[in-house]
Amino acid sequence: MSSLLRASMIAGAWRTSLGASVSDVVARVRHGDRAAVADSRGYACTTIAPISVEPARSRNSRFLRRMGLFGLEAATEALSASGVGSGSHIGLFSGVGGLRAHWDDMIAAFADQREDGERMWERGLQGVHPYWMLRHLSNNVHALASAELDLRGEGATFGGGNGGAQAMASAIRALNAGAIDAALVVAYDSLLEPETLVELGARNWPAQGLVPGEAAAAIVLVRVDDKSSHVRVDTSSPVANALARVSVRDAAGHDALGRCSAVVGDGDRDAYVAVAHSLGQLGAATTLVQAIALAEMRVPVSIGLHSAAPELASAVRVEVPS
Amino acid sequence: MTAVITGVGVVSAFGDGARALFDGLSTGRSGIRRIRNFDASGFPTHVAGEVPIARVDAAFLGSLIDNDALASRLGEMDALRDRKIAWGLIAAHEAWRDANCGDAERDASLVLALGLEQALLEDFGGIYAKGHIAWERGAQTGVRYRSPVDLTSRAVHELLGMRGPTIVNASACAAGALAVAHAASLIERGAADIVVCGAADSMVNPLGLGGMCRLGAPSPRDELDACRPFDRRRDGLVIGEGAAVFVVEHEDRARARGERPYARVVGWGSTQDGYRATAPRPDGAAARRAMEKAIARADRAGVPASAIGYINAHGTGTPLNDPAECKAIHGALGEHANRVAVSSIKGAVGHLMAASGAIEIAASLIAFERDVLPGTANHQERDPECDVDVIGEAPRHARVDALMSSSFGFGGQNASVVLGRPA
Repeated sequence: MSSLLRASMIAGAWRTSLGASVSDVVARVRHGDRAAVADSRGYACTTIAPISVEPARSRNSRFLRRMGLFGLEAATEALSASGVGSGSHIGLFSGVGGLRAHWDDMIAAFADQREDGERMWERGLQGVHPYWMLRHLSNNVHALASAELDLRGEGATFGGGNGGAQAMASAIRALNAGAIDAALVVAYDSLLEPETLVELGARNWPAQGLVPGEAAAAIVLVRVDDKSSHVRVDTSSPVANALARVSVRDAAGHDALGRCSAVVGDGDRDAYVAVAHSLGQLGAATTLVQAIALAEMRVPVSIGLHSAAPELASAVRVEVPS
Repeated sequence: MTAVITGVGVVSAFGDGARALFDGLSTGRSGIRRIRNFDASGFPTHVAGEVPIARVDAAFLGSLIDNDALASRLGEMDALRDRKIAWGLIAAHEAWRDANCGDAERDASLVLALGLEQALLEDFGGIYAKGHIAWERGAQTGVRYRSPVDLTSRAVHELLGMRGPTIVNASACAAGALAVAHAASLIERGAADIVVCGAADSMVNPLGLGGMCRLGAPSPRDELDACRPFDRRRDGLVIGEGAAVFVVEHEDRARARGERPYARVVGWGSTQDGYRATAPRPDGAAARRAMEKAIARADRAGVPASAIGYINAHGTGTPLNDPAECKAIHGALGEHANRVAVSSIKGAVGHLMAASGAIEIAASLIAFERDVLPGTANHQERDPECDVDVIGEAPRHARVDALMSSSFGFGGQNASVVLGRPA
């Protein structure tokens, strides 16, 4: 455990199926509330945990769909709350789950297609919106967060079920290497899109109790006990105002969950908390949601576990200063 | 702690194998051709850096990766229609063998850069129903809507029998270079001592080509010389496909097991433009800072900027990218920029999107392996806005001690990697 790199989390924001206020959502999680609702659309997943509100109106809706807009909202809110400002010393790390293709944008393009794919361009592809490809890009939240928030330091976008954990791990490594002085980490995912629901059903996961959900979350990290940061925050010291110290480990392959939890955990002395019971499965957003929730719960040391897919897992350790 | 490249695997428009890429670029050939893997006759452009394998089936893939069971399973999932999965597996298999990896290397981390999920348009013909998509109808008929973004990495993980973490970089066109930078940073920061890294992508399919055409990115000229990096007449890119995978490990580790490195990964840097989703910063300022970071890190590793003799540029052949990149090169290298040879291989292999940075790093290894700097296919007319020493169509024979490869992604993600000649 001593080899785990850590960072101080000084701000967090989210959009979840139980709401956008961190304190209110955590209170409801502690109370045992569940966001799950019945879905009568005919998919095998008859219970889902959707975010019930729409994103705020945004000029970025040209490039971002609903979950991307939620991601940008959370990123903006977390950065603002942190007071770290902007510029080339601030890194940006993003995690996205499945890269959704937004097929509903392509209804017109499909109307005259044939199963043999003959003359696809003339049969509708030529009418696809010019920005369809941009909306489809994996890094468009990253790009717009960089532009809107003027974040120009080191960064990368990670994909897949543990994309959020990867983003967080990379941010912590970059901070500890001195490459940046603060990092905005943002992740979002939805398991509620039609193709995902169909695939979950085909794998019989709903029958095993899986409740698909969705969330967007963002946190701001700085170095622990930093003496050299170029970051100037509005508050007197980011370290003094740290919500928690966080570290993360991921693993793949046989017993991935057990191996990464063994690295960050400390047996019976740590608290293990399941937010999925209340919020549903959150895919790539899970690790960040766990970090924010566990910091808000104020348990001295707690662990969030995430099994993103068979043989793909991550664990986040959250230490709240006394 | 210096990371070194000890294994390379490539699939490109020149065919499968790093040697095919090295031979093609060393002799100044181009792999751009008419698209054959689907009927592109109605599309605005019909040319691409297409891998010269029209159809990938399980038997063919199994023979190339020595794993019939995995190939069969992917075939049964219909996953091989997403061509990048096959390219990633073939390249990873080659890199693993090239670096003589075995059981002792299976704890390596895996960092793969991957492109978009691409559902296959013809699948939708069967589930379109009067103004909406009947998803449930597809479930009954076995239609596959998409390949999960991390399917390629999971398949590579299984193919190589790996036990380490899996990381998927999805940073658009900067992803491949960032994957190599990530691997080097894991080694430098003590998080790993060996990493399999690289990228795979394919946009040579109806949705990929169609989406890019609607975006207006490809050259409107439907010719084999459509992509003309740094040329005064440049008017757009040509899409490509393929993969490049590397084994990157700690120099001491490589030495201990008797491996001869291709190159040392001595510097890397990444930045974001903070500008626009649709265009690079015209002044190249953020790209310049990525280069400066990579150069500064290389300097700390004992490779000064003056040792850089070659730059493998992002060089898309688009009106906006190339002049901005030249400004960044001048800004980062100052006077030394005038003494550095620059080329782009995108005119010869196409723009491999997420995999572009990886294949360009692979191509750059020719400089150390053969003392040859790749040329810039179709570069014939100098552009005053691109005032760097662009290598023309013919490769240039030269010995360089260090080089830099840069990649810039849609939305302003920038990455530069500096390689040093191995001792």
